Amino acid sequence: MDKNYALVTKKVLKRMIGFVAAMFILSVLAFVFARLAPGDPLQSFYGDAVESMTTEELDAARARLGLDAPLTVQYVRWLQGVLHGDFGLSLKYKTPAQEVVGPLIGNTLILGGLAYILVFFLAVVCAVICAMHEDTLLDRAICKIGTAAYYIPPFWLGVVLVLIFSINLKLFPSSGAYDPGMQGDIMNRLRHMVLPLIVMVASHLWYYAYMIRNKLLDEIRKDYVLLAKSKGLGKREIILKHCLRNVAPAIVSIMAISIPHVLSGTYIAESVFNYPGIGNLSVESAKYHDYNLLMLLVLITGSLVIISSILAQFINEAIDPRMKEMEEIA
Amino acid sequence: MQQIAEEKTTEKMTFAAEEPDSGFAIVGAAYKTFERREAKIRFRDRLKGKPLVSAAILLVIVLGCLFAEHIYNHDPSGFYLDHLNAAPDGEFYFGTDSLGRDIYSMIWYGGRASILIGLMSMVIITVIGITYGCISGMAGGKIDAFMMRAVELANSIPNLLIVLLLVSIMGKQNIFKISIVIGVTGWFGLARIVRSEIRQIRNSEYVLAAKSMGAGFGYLMIKHLVPNLVAAVMFVVISSISSSMSMESTLSFLGLGLPVDVISWGSMLSLANKALLLNTWWVILIPGVFLVITLLCITGIGNYFRKETNRKESVL
Repeated sequence: MDKNYALVTKKVLKRMIGFVAAMFILSVLAFVFARLAPGDPLQSFYGDAVESMTTEELDAARARLGLDAPLTVQYVRWLQGVLHGDFGLSLKYKTPAQEVVGPLIGNTLILGGLAYILVFFLAVVCAVICAMHEDTLLDRAICKIGTAAYYIPPFWLGVVLVLIFSINLKLFPSSGAYDPGMQGDIMNRLRHMVLPLIVMVASHLWYYAYMIRNKLLDEIRKDYVLLAKSKGLGKREIILKHCLRNVAPAIVSIMAISIPHVLSGTYIAESVFNYPGIGNLSVESAKYHDYNLLMLLVLITGSLVIISSILAQFINEAIDPRMKEMEEIA
Repeated sequence: MQQIAEEKTTEKMTFAAEEPDSGFAIVGAAYKTFERREAKIRFRDRLKGKPLVSAAILLVIVLGCLFAEHIYNHDPSGFYLDHLNAAPDGEFYFGTDSLGRDIYSMIWYGGRASILIGLMSMVIITVIGITYGCISGMAGGKIDAFMMRAVELANSIPNLLIVLLLVSIMGKQNIFKISIVIGVTGWFGLARIVRSEIRQIRNSEYVLAAKSMGAGFGYLMIKHLVPNLVAAVMFVVISSISSSMSMESTLSFLGLGLPVDVISWGSMLSLANKALLLNTWWVILIPGVFLVITLLCITGIGNYFRKETNRKESVL
């Protein structure tokens, strides 16, 4: 037992070191990339006032913002700040970057989380329906519609939905996360989320539904299904009680890996619907060369990616111990 | 063909069965008179199962874009200022946008840029993906493990975020720059597929033979590896055209892709937000419908090349 405990600690430590190393590399890359960008950060900080400033004033401003030092010094300074919880000023909003991002993370998590749950719930439902009616008209229709929905550019779908449902039918609001002053009203928030959710679900659903459908189709060709059938179980019972359970580990590991993928769907959904979240903010900060903000967002996304991949590995090992052995051999 | 061969063998068998005693007349007297019938494969049968509708629609669109000069009735980059936001009518078939440009003419002209971007990105994706996959697959051991880990990590970071970073470095976009950005960020999936295929064929006799005759990596890759990959990667390569076109339009819509004066279906859609305020549906729907139909046709053709998984009979 003691030995086992030590092994787990060692493993967790190893993962932590890997995590820190990955974050370090990511931050260096993002930093260099951001500083290489041709746009002038002073432009986004001062706006059009830059053009009327003298050279001395510009130099002073650069020195004040720490933009005059060599790249390595800038990076070390930035890193020191980060370790103290200071991610630097957002050049566009003129407030510390974490204060800009902080209130918006919640919005994105709500949207992304709901979309995530919906996507996988519907994916399993679609897959089960397809598997139950394999090669019938229903199956083929779902496959065709799903593929079409997957290949429609999500931003266009969003714009068309706004055109139909909020401008012409006036059913749903076209932008924002809530009406002014109604931040706590859940119904109001939900009404704002309907259209973005449709866009996100449509653009992700089929990718996963198809994967699960194929797994199920392989599964219903196994011998135990024949046994269950000869015992007199119905189609639905066989799939729901036997096949789905056997496929479940695969679904769970797909779910864990896909966290960043689904969350990245918020980028487009948020920018189309002008939803105040970090996806929208990322697009904006890339547009306005807001380095510090973009860095923070890259770090947040990067850590999400790494955490979810570690999570996926843990889940896989818990479900299927063979994975662990394979890793030890390798 | 196979059917004929089967017929032949059954005939042989029956003769052999009829005359069991004569040791030499195994094939029987009728053997030489047996005439091989050339199977007549009708043209219609040959087209069966091929994505005809997709190919036909795509052909129409591509031809329309190629011969845009002969189709359009207005200058695609001209501003008709007294016809701002005109609804579709006899003069402007698809209406005009908020800058007064004729959408009908722009569609054919802009399709060139969109399809060109799709094709160029596809080439970049294919070249990088296959080369990387081949190197990783052939190298094996630690190099392979490292290369695949790197690709996995890159693949799990949202593609759009990498593109955003790159776009913000590159400044003002043009068709070539945007193809490069899309191509450079789009090859991760392909590389993984190529690598797993290579792992299966790397120890084949012909590869070993070529190696022992002193074939270099480049020769090996082009002569032996790539021809064996074609079937496996065809679907990914073709659908990378549509995903690249989709990415271009997304970037242009977000204001990070082509500027409005470089006409493509994406940059036409970048006026969509303005069109929403004016409720001019044709500015949004028409370029989008063209884009979506093209994407779906390409996907339909790609699906034809998808490796069919042969499943046995369902027991359910």
